Amino acid sequence: MTVSQRQGGGGVQKAPQGGLAEVLDLILDKGLVIDVFVKVSLVGIELITIDARIVVASVDTYLRFAEATNRLDLHQKGGKDLGEFMGGLTENVTQGGAKGKTKGMLDAGKEKWDEIRGGDEQPTRRGRRS
Amino acid sequence: MSGETGTVASYVYGIIPAGARIPEGLTPIPGGDDDGGLGLVTVGELAAVVSDVATSRPLGTRKDLMAHETVLNAIAQSSPVLPMRFGAVVTDDDAVADELLTPHQDYFTKALGQMEGLVEFSLRGEYDQTAVLTRIVEDNPEIQQLRERIAGVDEDASYYDRIKLGEAISQSMDRLKEVDADAVLDALERYAVATVVKEPGGENGAVHVAFLVRSDHRSDFERAVDDLGDAWSGRVDLRLIGPTAAFDFLPEYDPPEGQS
Repeated sequence: MTVSQRQGGGGVQKAPQGGLAEVLDLILDKGLVIDVFVKVSLVGIELITIDARIVVASVDTYLRFAEATNRLDLHQKGGKDLGEFMGGLTENVTQGGAKGKTKGMLDAGKEKWDEIRGGDEQPTRRGRRS
Repeated sequence: MSGETGTVASYVYGIIPAGARIPEGLTPIPGGDDDGGLGLVTVGELAAVVSDVATSRPLGTRKDLMAHETVLNAIAQSSPVLPMRFGAVVTDDDAVADELLTPHQDYFTKALGQMEGLVEFSLRGEYDQTAVLTRIVEDNPEIQQLRERIAGVDEDASYYDRIKLGEAISQSMDRLKEVDADAVLDALERYAVATVVKEPGGENGAVHVAFLVRSDHRSDFERAVDDLGDAWSGRVDLRLIGPTAAFDFLPEYDPPEGQS
């Protein structure tokens, strides 16, 4: 995947295609559903889906916001709790295991979960002007 | 290679106008016993992009998912395409022609016509956490008080206050997201044919808006995105993904009365 940085400020990252979590958003929830069109010759193949057990509860998010806000103080006063904060963060997020990978999965799971729970997009389809 | 269980079926990526060129060198979803690459099933003015898959294994590995998206996006660079949702598998190519394409020609043809010359872009923004939290705390006396009450108090003793603080911050952030989504629309909507405001995922998600953009307005659109990136520099990191197949803007399908 090529990520090109535009020269001359802005700093908007551009990529032809999103990462796995973003791709999942699209291709599992959007697109034409084959069952609508094909009835007889449909092949029901098992789909591996994201394990809902690895979803981060919102209380954890709140606590992490609180910790991060606490850290704002530390920026101003010179910190003593940063290590603790980081420790708490990774513990919350990964619960052990291969950290980098698990965190990615968690983000994906979280995003998925937000959508499932009904934090859905509000479609604001505007009139076409062509 | 998987032995006797290895039945092969047709995986459908999407539908394009017959005669549209598929870029070469695209990697399909890992197939059955012998990988045949991408193929086209053509009926009249329509073609379905397909490849062989083994029915013996579940689909959904990272490779499978990325292949589906990559194939469709590559095609979308030069041709309108109606993407299927991931996991569309039909017994064989004949069924793709007879059950998918032939009975629904009118809808597919009309939908492809509507997507002609249009591509999707997805704009995602992430808050710089320190910047956004600082702003929320400064703007909000109640949050400021809570934070001061917690400062220096033992973690267990302040547990519920910390949840309260986090919740208040989360709510402020939600209000900020609404304001920022409106700002994105104000800045960019004029360059798009249609927009969909989506829930920004993740803890620091700020905005997520999908745009349907005319190919000939693409550079104007991208310039406006860059300007917004300049304006929000240090507060929101923007990422522009695309052009992609227009997953978010497919014309509605109304099954004709009486059709099963």
